[in-house]
Amino acid sequence: MTLLDFASGPGMQWALWIFVFGVLWRLVGALFLLSRKDLTKPRQYNSVAAGLGAIISRSAPAHAFEKRILFQHVTGYVWHFALFISVLFFAPHILFFESVLGFGWPHLPNTIILITAIIATAVLITLLIRRATHPVQRFISNADDYISIFVVLIPLITGILAFAHVGGRYETLLAIHLLSVEVMLIWFPFGKLMHAIMTMPARYQAGTAFGRRGVKA
Amino acid sequence: MRKDQNLGEYLRAQGVSRRGFLKFCSATASLMALPPSAIAQVADALAKARRPSVIWLSFQECTGCTESLTRSHAPTVESLIFDAISLDYHHTLQAAAGHGAEAARMAAMEENSGEYILVVDGSIPVGNPAYSTIAGISNLDMLKETAANAFALVAVGTCAAFGGIPHANPNPTGAVSVSDIVTDKPIINVSGCPPIPVVITGVLAHFLTFGTIPELDALGRPAAFFGQNIHDRCYRRPFYERGQFAETFDDEGARKGWCLYKLGCKGPTTYNTCATLKWNEGTSFPIQSGHGCIGCSEPDFWDKGGFYNPISAGMWGSRDALLGAAAAGAALGVGSALAARARKKKAQAAEEA
Amino acid sequence: MNVEAMSLQDFRGKLEQLSEGIPGQDMSDEERVRRAKRAFMQKLNGHRAVDLDSCLQCGMCAEACHFYEATQNERYAPVYKYRPLRRFYRREMSPMRWFYRPFTRDITAADLKEWQHLVYDACTGCGRCDMICPMGIKISAAIRVVRHGLAAAGYVPPEMRVLRNEQRDQNTLFGVGAEQLKALVEKLGAQGISVPLDREQADVMLLTTAVEVLLFPDAFAATARILNKSGADWTIRSDVFEAANVGIITGDDPTMSLAIRRIVDKAKACGVKTVLMPESGHAYQTLRWEGATEMGGALPFETLSIPEFISGEVQAGRLNLKAQSNGASVTYHDPCRLSRKGGVMQQPRDVLAALGLDVRETPSNQRENYCCGGGCGEYVLSGAADLRQKAFEIKRREFEETGADAVVTGCANCRINLLIGAENSGWETPVTSLVETVAANLAD
Repeated sequence: MTLLDFASGPGMQWALWIFVFGVLWRLVGALFLLSRKDLTKPRQYNSVAAGLGAIISRSAPAHAFEKRILFQHVTGYVWHFALFISVLFFAPHILFFESVLGFGWPHLPNTIILITAIIATAVLITLLIRRATHPVQRFISNADDYISIFVVLIPLITGILAFAHVGGRYETLLAIHLLSVEVMLIWFPFGKLMHAIMTMPARYQAGTAFGRRGVKA
Repeated sequence: MRKDQNLGEYLRAQGVSRRGFLKFCSATASLMALPPSAIAQVADALAKARRPSVIWLSFQECTGCTESLTRSHAPTVESLIFDAISLDYHHTLQAAAGHGAEAARMAAMEENSGEYILVVDGSIPVGNPAYSTIAGISNLDMLKETAANAFALVAVGTCAAFGGIPHANPNPTGAVSVSDIVTDKPIINVSGCPPIPVVITGVLAHFLTFGTIPELDALGRPAAFFGQNIHDRCYRRPFYERGQFAETFDDEGARKGWCLYKLGCKGPTTYNTCATLKWNEGTSFPIQSGHGCIGCSEPDFWDKGGFYNPISAGMWGSRDALLGAAAAGAALGVGSALAARARKKKAQAAEEA
Repeated sequence: MNVEAMSLQDFRGKLEQLSEGIPGQDMSDEERVRRAKRAFMQKLNGHRAVDLDSCLQCGMCAEACHFYEATQNERYAPVYKYRPLRRFYRREMSPMRWFYRPFTRDITAADLKEWQHLVYDACTGCGRCDMICPMGIKISAAIRVVRHGLAAAGYVPPEMRVLRNEQRDQNTLFGVGAEQLKALVEKLGAQGISVPLDREQADVMLLTTAVEVLLFPDAFAATARILNKSGADWTIRSDVFEAANVGIITGDDPTMSLAIRRIVDKAKACGVKTVLMPESGHAYQTLRWEGATEMGGALPFETLSIPEFISGEVQAGRLNLKAQSNGASVTYHDPCRLSRKGGVMQQPRDVLAALGLDVRETPSNQRENYCCGGGCGEYVLSGAADLRQKAFEIKRREFEETGADAVVTGCANCRINLLIGAENSGWETPVTSLVETVAANLAD
């Protein structure tokens, strides 16, 4: 069995199993701790609308904060958009998702993907440097923060190398790319990458909690 | 061709012009990644080469490799080069039969001991040697016996080089490659199903020219022919870069000759020279004819998840297994939460008591 | 109208003496940790779990915190203030506790002692960080759980402990009980302001706070006048009038429940339809937004804050206000527990506008408003005076940017803190209360 065979076969299989297993474990486990029902009389509000509203509104910080978090705000947006475009609209990736999900969607030309991937990599490296140097971020960071950055950074870099056929034979680069994605998938549920999933329930519950008091979350 | 005739004389006698010969030499030189200055050397060496003895053994194979070599549309320099060797034993091509044939093999081995080249096509069944025998001799025994005094071995075709189709899962005959059996001789793997004829003759030309075996890649294949993947040299590559893919074999993209990646083309992971040398005297190759590369020159190409599955699709298992993992994760989540809540309740009760 | 009040100076002296001679709470380290963990466990539920599992560690919350902004001390990042809770969660309650346990340090008594400064001195629970968090994490709720843990472990700062004990055991605060209230009511009666004290049945039950009785009797008088003017059928009970809840401030559940129960029971006994909270943000938030859940069922009355009540009365036409035309400008300071934690933001502005005042907004306002710097009882902690003063400077800058003639607020705690800050820094813009501003402009 070659490295690529392992990476695209059993490696991917186990990584996906661990990924979905871990995500459900952590998500259901947290939600199922349950909370005491809030018995106070709410103001007039629609809890679903408030919850869903917060999922959207929390993507933009309140006006008063904008100045102080501009850098993080902008890099955050660029990072996520560049990453999503690179991951979700590269033709080979879509073929992979199609094989897992059973459906695909239109892709973008490779040139655009290459640009977004390079932007994403550059922004992530910038964020890594910021984490290591900014007084607050450096102080509050733990191993998870750095591991989570690296396990995302490496698939990006190996992906670009495999795409450009630079630094090794294509199937070796592809195998390393796949393996690095598998490492990321395995780490995902255990580390803070899980925020990608938790953001929905977290924002939703914030939306309803504020909403019942008549406050926009 | 008489034994005392050298290759140059023979070719001239066959009506091949000096110009045609040099053209072949320069093609061979460039294929072998030699500088232009080496063309003269190649021509000189080839012209003076004496006919080496070649023994060709066919084991678990389909004769496709032999067909590839011999069924050229018209006589070519390649096929004439092939005529220029002393093919002392070849099932399909030799006139002799029965004991006479085996005697010819024994004679050639004795006469050219340590100098003959052993060409093998087909895999060797080791699960049960009786699955394939020649004149009552098992393939395994015949290979070991014939290889013992060979100068070098050329494993022609993916079966001989890597086990090929007989080796495919579940490999009922226990088929193995030549290099799994012979470990003490140089082996040149000329893989492909079948290999490109020019590649076979190119390897022989190299041997005739330098008397050595060419530089090999990690899989024992001549680096000059197997150094680059199909994808990098494919004329459809620009469509890949632009993201223009054929979605089915009969859609607009297919008609326009767009990239076949989505239809399972294995070009990016297949190392061969099809995209440059092509087949049938440079006429075409599979991708040009509208079908993705199936990766036939790579080990285990038959077991890589299907010819029509895109490379990136992966073999990640069934959707049911994923759902099972999700269900198991959810169950563990519920369980861990219930356990935590039970502890909480217990602590509360203990405090109230 | 001017009711004789304790001077700010005297009150500050009183605060400084609050913890004198108060011994620490003796407990073994093991016992402290055990108790803290038990408190954490009880407070950890699905909401907190989702929050704790969502954090990105982006550190943006620091940018919302007035204490971080004022000091640039990274330890004051809100995310760091609930770190002990996160550790406990990861080790003991998280669905992945088996995985996290080997990598997560256990909490120690030394940690708890260290966090006393972070969650009492350096956090007013104002929840401004809750508004910035991109994940929607209720950071202040998590920090409040840490306060619970520290309270259980005997690490409530002595000043707060004294007040909690006083409320729990004597049902008084700062020594203000039935006698003091009665004395104030008599004084007001002499000035022609009638206060229907201790009626057995009424529609509206007004609460007040010890701080109001001591420091801001004018605000109490103003509230009484507004109630009388609107024709409300109201009372205030000398046996249960304290709205403040030191239980919720310190993180002490039994005291919090007790203080809520006293109010609820009395309101039920008097058959009131409305409990009117005085100008105290946390008191309103506690009864309005936690009372029913704490009591285990819906309450038979509604809880209104002063701005809600006045705005409602004006709208119903029961209360008429004189609209000024002198072009005076004010800026309204949103008390955190009324605004982002209580949903009372528009009403005070409506009322001020109805008074014909030019209402100017600070750059950060309403749900994003900066804390006064000493909310949630933090102002009683003498050790945090410098920190508060630095945070006040942010507030002062915000106010100055509006160019308003006066600051109006709806919370006595905010008012005290702003007054102390102004006094310390020689800032002369008046800080007044909403009720007093309204009462001064009542029309017939």
